[in-house]
Amino acid sequence: MRFGRYGIGFLALSAVFAFRARELSAQAQIISLAATAPGTLAVTVTSGAVQTIAGVTDNAVNSFPAPVVIQTDWNVNPGQTNTVDLIAYFSIPAQALVGATTQIPSSRVLGRVLTGTPTTFTAIAQNGIGGVGTAGGSLSLFAVTITGANKNASRTDNLDLQLNLVGFPTLPAGAFTGVLNLRAVTQ
Amino acid sequence: MRRLLRKAITAAAVLMLPSTAVAQIGLTSNVATVALTATKNATLTVTPNASTATLASITDGSNVNNFTPVSLTTSWNLTAGSSVRLIGWFATPAQALVNGANFIPSSKVEGRVNAAAYAPFTGAALGGVGVAGGSLQLFSQAVAAGSFFGARTDQLDLRLDLTGTTTFAGDYLGTLNLQAIVQ
Repeated sequence: MRFGRYGIGFLALSAVFAFRARELSAQAQIISLAATAPGTLAVTVTSGAVQTIAGVTDNAVNSFPAPVVIQTDWNVNPGQTNTVDLIAYFSIPAQALVGATTQIPSSRVLGRVLTGTPTTFTAIAQNGIGGVGTAGGSLSLFAVTITGANKNASRTDNLDLQLNLVGFPTLPAGAFTGVLNLRAVTQ
Repeated sequence: MRRLLRKAITAAAVLMLPSTAVAQIGLTSNVATVALTATKNATLTVTPNASTATLASITDGSNVNNFTPVSLTTSWNLTAGSSVRLIGWFATPAQALVNGANFIPSSKVEGRVNAAAYAPFTGAALGGVGVAGGSLQLFSQAVAAGSFFGARTDQLDLRLDLTGTTTFAGDYLGTLNLQAIVQ
């Protein structure tokens, strides 16, 4: 009866293994999940993207006929964003408007946003902000403080433009063209 | 010991998570643009320094009947053309100067600029400016890309050539028109 002699021993060992198997549960692992919704910032000119003065008058302030209507949309984290700024700028301040032989500098182009920062006509001759704009060829149009209440918001502003030729040398006849850039940046 | 190390690594990873979402400062939008065009129209002007030229006393049978000189400034600001021309003309050549029913025709009125030779106002119109038989081109100034923007001042001398003519006493009045044209 050798089986009978060792049989009880096997059973006892099995029982021990069974108990050991329960004790060998795996170490709990933590997987941290992180999903980031990137901030968004967009500028759209809804009207007035083409501005024309048909007949410029020398030594006078010439108004562009209609405002540039600008819509700025943002969706940002208020804990990481202080302000949303909108900047208008010319790439080459000395040549804001270019003619055949004569250039009109950005200091002669004035901007005003009644709902923004320059509520009176101001030369586009400031420095850039937050890396946006050009030195001496920029104008801050507004800076809105971001809070939880407006972290995802939009605003529309009218930018009025003028060409100030008071004291400027008489322009040669012809067309003077340029591009005004509009860009928002968070601060 | 191993557990503690794992927990420490996990905790450190969790702490680092927010930093990947930081830096919304400096977030920039697209660049929207506004196209600006300002056009300076071409101009051409003639400005006399006086609106009246007088001849106090006419001498019949003579061409020494000089009016007081007039200075004319002609200014141009152009985008095209090859010449600026100044034309003087009388609206009714047969009646350049009028004294009641007595007339002095434009053929008896002569003009010149800058001491050139006198010539009568008997030419044709030029480019729609002037009157046939009553016009005189006073100058033709060449212009090109480098001189589309300029001005010049000339002295206009006028006289009556009454050689072979006798006039009735009285005041003879007339109007000389001056107009520049680009061709």
